Amino acid sequence: MRRVRGSNLILLVLSGVNVVIMGLLTALSPTFLSYGNLSAVMLRMSELSMLAIAETIVLIAGGFDLTIGAVMALSATVFGTLHVAGLPFAAILVLALSAGIAVGTLNGFLVVALRLQPFIVTLATMSVVRSVVYGLLKGNVLSDLPEAFLDLGYVYVLKIPLLFLVVVLVAVLAIVLLRRTVIGRRIFALGGNERTAFLSGVHVDRMKYVVYALSGLISALAGLMYTARIRAVVPDMGITSPLEVVTAVLIGGTAITGGKGSVFGSLLGILAMYLLLNGFNLLGLNPFWQVIILGTILIYVVGQENIVRGVRAALARGSRRKSQKA
Amino acid sequence: MNAARPALKRVLGLRELPILVYLAIMIAVFSIAVGGFFSFKNFENISRQIATVGIVSVGMTLIILTGGIDLSVGAILSFAINIGGLGIVAGWPMWVAYPFMLLLGLVLGWLNGFLITRIAVPALIITLGTMNIYRGVIMVITRGRYITPIPKAYEAIGSGYVPFILLALVLALFIYISLRTRFGRNLFAIGGGEQSAVYSGVPVRRYKMIVYTISGLLSALAGMILVGKSGFIQPQAGLGYEMSAIAAVVIGGTSIFGGSGSVLGTFLGSVLMGLILAGLTMLAVNPYWQGLITGVLIILAIALDTVRQLRRK
Repeated sequence: MRRVRGSNLILLVLSGVNVVIMGLLTALSPTFLSYGNLSAVMLRMSELSMLAIAETIVLIAGGFDLTIGAVMALSATVFGTLHVAGLPFAAILVLALSAGIAVGTLNGFLVVALRLQPFIVTLATMSVVRSVVYGLLKGNVLSDLPEAFLDLGYVYVLKIPLLFLVVVLVAVLAIVLLRRTVIGRRIFALGGNERTAFLSGVHVDRMKYVVYALSGLISALAGLMYTARIRAVVPDMGITSPLEVVTAVLIGGTAITGGKGSVFGSLLGILAMYLLLNGFNLLGLNPFWQVIILGTILIYVVGQENIVRGVRAALARGSRRKSQKA
Repeated sequence: MNAARPALKRVLGLRELPILVYLAIMIAVFSIAVGGFFSFKNFENISRQIATVGIVSVGMTLIILTGGIDLSVGAILSFAINIGGLGIVAGWPMWVAYPFMLLLGLVLGWLNGFLITRIAVPALIITLGTMNIYRGVIMVITRGRYITPIPKAYEAIGSGYVPFILLALVLALFIYISLRTRFGRNLFAIGGGEQSAVYSGVPVRRYKMIVYTISGLLSALAGMILVGKSGFIQPQAGLGYEMSAIAAVVIGGTSIFGGSGSVLGTFLGSVLMGLILAGLTMLAVNPYWQGLITGVLIILAIALDTVRQLRRK
């Protein structure tokens, strides 16, 4: 009961933060609240929101996935190079998504069969996947892509970008999976305590495969969405995503130790990040400030409890010293 | 006979043995496959390449021995030379600019250690954060501009065998420290079991701080060599060094879980990687595939280590 209240509190605070940022930006920049700007923010945050959904599922299961950004680039690259090679659209779509599932399954295999730490495994596979992307593209930007597909990036339904609606759909599916199905319960159980989950009959290894493969699939879908949005395949696509996504997900209340988290919280985290970035743009600040702020927030969020405790102890020491002097 | 057997056993039990074998095979294969591979000119070239990553890897070894990790080494390297490079632009003499760069590395490394020991958050998260903070600050301050040309004097440190000699000195120092000093032995104790180390009176917190500080300092030194080698300073310097360093460390037989490994192994690991990359370059393999090789080598090395640990149990 208390845990539910605690996580709701985080969501409430985060929503509040978003409202405050929006209020500030509205006050500071007249263009912020315009339809054009808001729909641009929605469009721009779509891919990263997808990656955040993927990362949330893996983190809840007690894993870690650094390959999300590289997988995004891989699926886009497979899509682009196979289109150039002249394969039919349906085939390249399936193959691009399968590439994501394949990387996810490989991660699952390395984590399960070789019992390696997920962080190191995905750090290594990230390097492998990124290298394959560079190798296939030879470092070039690829823009010879099916027109009809690219136009999907600029379809609006009821004035809302289609890509954003895809995010909403995937988010709803992920939430239902995590909260309303047996698989979801098992994912939480696995992340909460692997040993206990195993003893209560959860197929721990199979669950890990599912989680990493799912993360690969969602990231691959994000790659196609990104491609449609920027109308090109770029080799560096998603290279900074791990930092951004992990930060947003942790801000959203998902525990780095597993067993706790919410997709909705992660999306609020991404929203806060994009509102900040949008604010920097509108106010003409150097965009690299964003990276500095993100890094700082990441450290703060993860170490929050200890930092607060430390500061409190330091203050107490200070006041004690003062009273001793007096 | 009786005297020979333990000696043989010792050689066979060396943790660096597998990598020595790989190395021998690697050199043999490349010497046959690539014309001009087995030449002094080429080895001088490779030695300079190995030196930068090698020096960074020595710091990384100490950190991984304690069970930590540092993803910010490349960012620290870049920070030291880019921000220190502002001093070069301002016309500072070399004997001020170099210590300033080293100081920057030292401070950033210390900051990592401070955050890791005080906030008690996994080192990988902290350094993922600081890596981006450091790189962000570089970009904000330099606005992405290169510093070029740099005065000729700064190229001395990166030419001829100077980089390799520096690497050799760093190696000798840290092999000695890791094997023959109380500080060094205690690093293994921390990695083997931090709680037990605390109970046995090891000043764990201080030692960890020292290790991250050393790593920062060495990253700055590697940066200075890189500047000497390339003749300019770019904000993206050191990108991906964390991967190469981690690869060299684990390929060299140091356990990613901490507690066992060696500085010498790391050196052999970086030589192996340097040879592979140089050989592939000479075979005209696209450098884009480097990450693939690094990644696969890391996975293989860690899998090997895991198997070794399971067998011990």
